[in-house]
Amino acid sequence: MTTQIWLGLLSGVAFGFVIQRAGATNANKMARAHLMIEADIPRFMLLAVVLSAIGLVGLQASGVGRTLIIPTSLAATGISGVLFGIGWGLCGYCPGTTWAAAGEGRMDAIFALLGGLAGTAVFAQVHETLIPLLYAPTNIGQITLADWFGSRLIGAAVLVVVFAVCIWGIGVLWERNGDAKTR
Amino acid sequence: MQKNRLLSPYWKWVPAGFALAGVILFVFATFGPPASSSGFVATLKGAIEPLAPAYVEGKAHYRMSGGPSAWVFAFVLGMAIGGFVAGRTFSVPVRDIPEIWEKRFGSSRLKRYFATFAGGFIILFASRLAGGCTLGLFISGSTQLAVSGLYFGVLIFAFAMLTARIVYGNAGKEEK
Repeated sequence: MTTQIWLGLLSGVAFGFVIQRAGATNANKMARAHLMIEADIPRFMLLAVVLSAIGLVGLQASGVGRTLIIPTSLAATGISGVLFGIGWGLCGYCPGTTWAAAGEGRMDAIFALLGGLAGTAVFAQVHETLIPLLYAPTNIGQITLADWFGSRLIGAAVLVVVFAVCIWGIGVLWERNGDAKTR
Repeated sequence: MQKNRLLSPYWKWVPAGFALAGVILFVFATFGPPASSSGFVATLKGAIEPLAPAYVEGKAHYRMSGGPSAWVFAFVLGMAIGGFVAGRTFSVPVRDIPEIWEKRFGSSRLKRYFATFAGGFIILFASRLAGGCTLGLFISGSTQLAVSGLYFGVLIFAFAMLTARIVYGNAGKEEK
């Protein structure tokens, strides 16, 4: 138990430091990313996924680590994605960045954190109603690209290629927008 | 633009992406998929349990979560510490109201804090329904090739971009 606390704390400190340096705790930069002006934050996120996916193939091959696939619920995951996008676009923070941005001393992030605690409390209150209503009926299970493509390696390769194309596309579209309209 | 880039104290996306992937893989190896919205549940559980143990015991969402001794709580607390350290060793001073927001809505703190409170409420409510957030569902999920993470990721980017257009209108275009 104690080891887990120290590992969690160490991981959190490193994670918080890196996302601040990447600009992800800066809601101004996040808004400019969403407005297709600055490409760095989305490319940073997608590159981190590409490298982590490759690294995880290695970890699994050597039998290290633990994975946990969150199921796909067509309705619940979909509605959550839409709502989450609206909230993210509105405030410029996501759950993780609120903690790091609050630690950085941004007052608006402290309010986002308090709002987040309120949102969590309300969800916990209605969990017993919403999960059977929205989550369970359209839950299609813990599916992955490995299931779709028949092997973990091919699934990972597809993900890497698709994300690499997205990173390239973001670079082209965002920077063109940013250059033409703001500089 | 080129000059601004070189002078920016922020890390560029490639080294920053490598650094974050290193942290994510460390977490997979030593704990499991990293997550942050569950840190909010652990925080609340720790806060409410001493006051209303029967309520916490009766609610599935708290029963399935760890409390303040859970990895996820240590992780979000660590993120605040990491953000603090990073902010203190950075050349750009923090602002309570982002430049672009001020340009669009003026310098009212009340308005900005109300908006971030509402935004925070929505993202956490949604994350708890989906079972994860940007990190716990999109990044962790996609890393594990989970369809849920990819599905969620496409939607959050699309709707955040749409919402930002509606919220900021032309404010972004005039900015230097």
